[in-house]
Amino acid sequence: MKSYLSLIPISARVRRRQNRMTLLCIVFAVFLVTAIFSMADMAVRMEQSRLAEKHGQEFTLQTILDSPMGQTLFPIAGVLFVLILIAGVLMISGSINSTVAQRTRFFGMMRCIGMSRQQLARFVRLEALNWCKTAIPIGVILGTASSWILCAILRFVVREEFTAIPLFGVSPIGIASGIIMGAVTVLGAARAPAEQAAKVSPVAAVSGNTGSTSQARRPVRTGAFPIEISLGVHHAVSAKKDLVLMTSSFALSIILFLTFSVLLDWVGYLLPQSASDADLTISGESGANCIPYELAETLRGMDGVENVFGRRSAFDVPAELGQEGLPQVVDLISFDDLDLGALKKDGALRRGSDLSSVYGDNGHVLAVCDPDAPLRMGDTIQVSGQTLTIAGMLTYDLFSGDGLSHGRVSILASGETFLRLTGITDYSLVMVQAANMTDKDAAAISALLDEGLVLQDRRDQRTFGTYIAFVMCVYSFLAIIAMVTVLNIMNSISMSVSARSKQYGAMRAVGMDSRQMTQMIAAEAVTYALAGCVIGCIVGLAVGRVLFITLIQAHFAYAVWTLPVLRLLIVVVFVAAATLAAIYAPSKRMRDMAVTETINEL
Amino acid sequence: MDMDLLRVEHICKTYGDGEAAVHALKDVSFSVPKGEFVAIVGESGSGKSTLLNMIGALDTPTSGRVYINEKDTFAMKEKALTVFRRRNIGFIFQAFNLIPELSVEQNMIFPLLLDRQRPNKRYLEDLLAVLDLAKRRDHLPSQLSGGQQQRVAIGRALITRPSLVLADEPTGNLDSQNSNEVLALLKKTARQYEQTVIMITHNPAIAHTADRVFQVSDGVLTDLGGCRA
Repeated sequence: MKSYLSLIPISARVRRRQNRMTLLCIVFAVFLVTAIFSMADMAVRMEQSRLAEKHGQEFTLQTILDSPMGQTLFPIAGVLFVLILIAGVLMISGSINSTVAQRTRFFGMMRCIGMSRQQLARFVRLEALNWCKTAIPIGVILGTASSWILCAILRFVVREEFTAIPLFGVSPIGIASGIIMGAVTVLGAARAPAEQAAKVSPVAAVSGNTGSTSQARRPVRTGAFPIEISLGVHHAVSAKKDLVLMTSSFALSIILFLTFSVLLDWVGYLLPQSASDADLTISGESGANCIPYELAETLRGMDGVENVFGRRSAFDVPAELGQEGLPQVVDLISFDDLDLGALKKDGALRRGSDLSSVYGDNGHVLAVCDPDAPLRMGDTIQVSGQTLTIAGMLTYDLFSGDGLSHGRVSILASGETFLRLTGITDYSLVMVQAANMTDKDAAAISALLDEGLVLQDRRDQRTFGTYIAFVMCVYSFLAIIAMVTVLNIMNSISMSVSARSKQYGAMRAVGMDSRQMTQMIAAEAVTYALAGCVIGCIVGLAVGRVLFITLIQAHFAYAVWTLPVLRLLIVVVFVAAATLAAIYAPSKRMRDMAVTETINEL
Repeated sequence: MDMDLLRVEHICKTYGDGEAAVHALKDVSFSVPKGEFVAIVGESGSGKSTLLNMIGALDTPTSGRVYINEKDTFAMKEKALTVFRRRNIGFIFQAFNLIPELSVEQNMIFPLLLDRQRPNKRYLEDLLAVLDLAKRRDHLPSQLSGGQQQRVAIGRALITRPSLVLADEPTGNLDSQNSNEVLALLKKTARQYEQTVIMITHNPAIAHTADRVFQVSDGVLTDLGGCRA
């Protein structure tokens, strides 16, 4: 040993298990920052080369920041980055804080044998930096590697605009930001614990009541609950710092989850995926019903064709809506059965709609629900002298650019109902869904068409790949966050229990049974979980709503924010599972611990 | 003649095995009648605390049996044993082991609360008065002196009116004045509530005041007989 600081690597080896969580937190933070910045760097490089190719000149970062992509994506990335940063700092400082609290006696002993306050503070800070030595390189490597994987997915799976993204790019910006983030957060997170360690008095090592637990100020309030529950709750509530850290750690993951899911919604609106998306569409030049019914039948038997369905339309059909001030005409559109079924799959129907009654010819139809088109479920209307019942409502107007009806009343009917009302059999639009369709197959279809019919090949324009890639990214991101949260919570509860193991031993000795012991630990964990859940859901819903309004509602007028009940349910289930997992290991350890192990320790 | 409250039969405790085996207790047998005040003396590491932990069923012996009120404690299941322990045995530790978040009164009635019982008001007031803690009932352990904390621990050990009180160097952390006070109290309450007390001590002066003294040396127990006239 050259200096007292040589103790750091030695003690790190001995305390490897206890330090694992801190290491993991640092790795996680560095990894995320490196990955995000590397990806951003790659995207900028791709955009730069694309623009340079297109316009034949160099483009600066500023141009990209001014581009629509930069304008929308960068602020969002910024917000998420800050959230992740907070999560990282909270987790790191939480775990450093616990490792320091656990070692009050060790620090007291160091003070006893002559370490000064400054030396102790330096010891804790350097110890934290010592973790960086292993954690930062791992984080940087993981971050860079995952940016490669993401780039590969974008380039080979999603393709489309991403074919130019660099594959094995190493981003100096990403690596530098990862390293800086790691070192700065660790030093920042170690500050308070270092000061706390420096405050430990030498007496702490020799006196009987060191108590790494904070000094109680007020007695526990008993009476409302059994004593072990009151004590467990008190353990959670009395250590303010732990309470804040644990609660925020729970809350932040919930907030991230609720925020990210709004981004998923947003992508759902940007790249709508419908079960009736077509690869080929055939339309008449005039938009009239001029595609022979037989053509659809022929197409069904051709190579590479999976589904064929068509729509017919009749505009400005005289109608009686039963209310004054409403237009006296409606637009009538026929949907084939598969098309109707897709409405349900896509969630385009309002709750309470009865789609099954619309099939076939029985006078039941669908209408667009809109403030401008005040038809209600169950209303009856007269079209061409026949009575129709509105059996279901659509959430938005499928036929207008912005999803609003602008006062036009559109009625969706089955092919059979439409035929009875209008007598028209030919289609105005025929859609083909392909299965492994070759260009030759497509050409064969094209050759069948009469003059005046237009074939649009959209096989390359389907956004399914991009959509899936984005969804995958978001979910894997959420999975990492969830995993780290669970680990962090498990670790924190475990440390909190370890710190009190002597006390727990004494309680066992004076008659606490193992069930009461488990309940006490559970009460502590549940307190953290409940507080985190409530705060997380409230803040998460608020942030999610704001995001929904600015990102989605501003551009898709028909979008309405509703309480995400299913997501809240997922949150509750997740939190409950994490809490159970966090209770299990420490309570088992305490049950198995020999009572005599701790009680006679000073 | 009263039957013995405590009977220890051929207790052995071995840690480790083979070459590294440490025999902490070697075939220890003795019995203690109801109401006796017993002191156990011996060097550090001689096996005194191990013996006391066996008697209190906090630790299990390698072989042998312990009977308290004719009940074989090691034949009981963990749960039954816990309940038996909290109703029949009071523990006093050298390190007090009070619960820092609980007030003096809460600490004292803690074993009852675990047993879902309400404390007997009069008995509690009596105990608080005897232990001279009545004015401090709402204080936290951190606001008390060492002697006061140990008195709370005594109160906690006595609140269930156990027939057996086990004390592991209860005065080890106290100065001589506090030691004497605590000891006098312990004896007074034991007599008052007809309890059997087994106490480990390093202090020969304290041992001299006991009804009977056992010496433990290298895991072997010797009955030194009564010290009092």
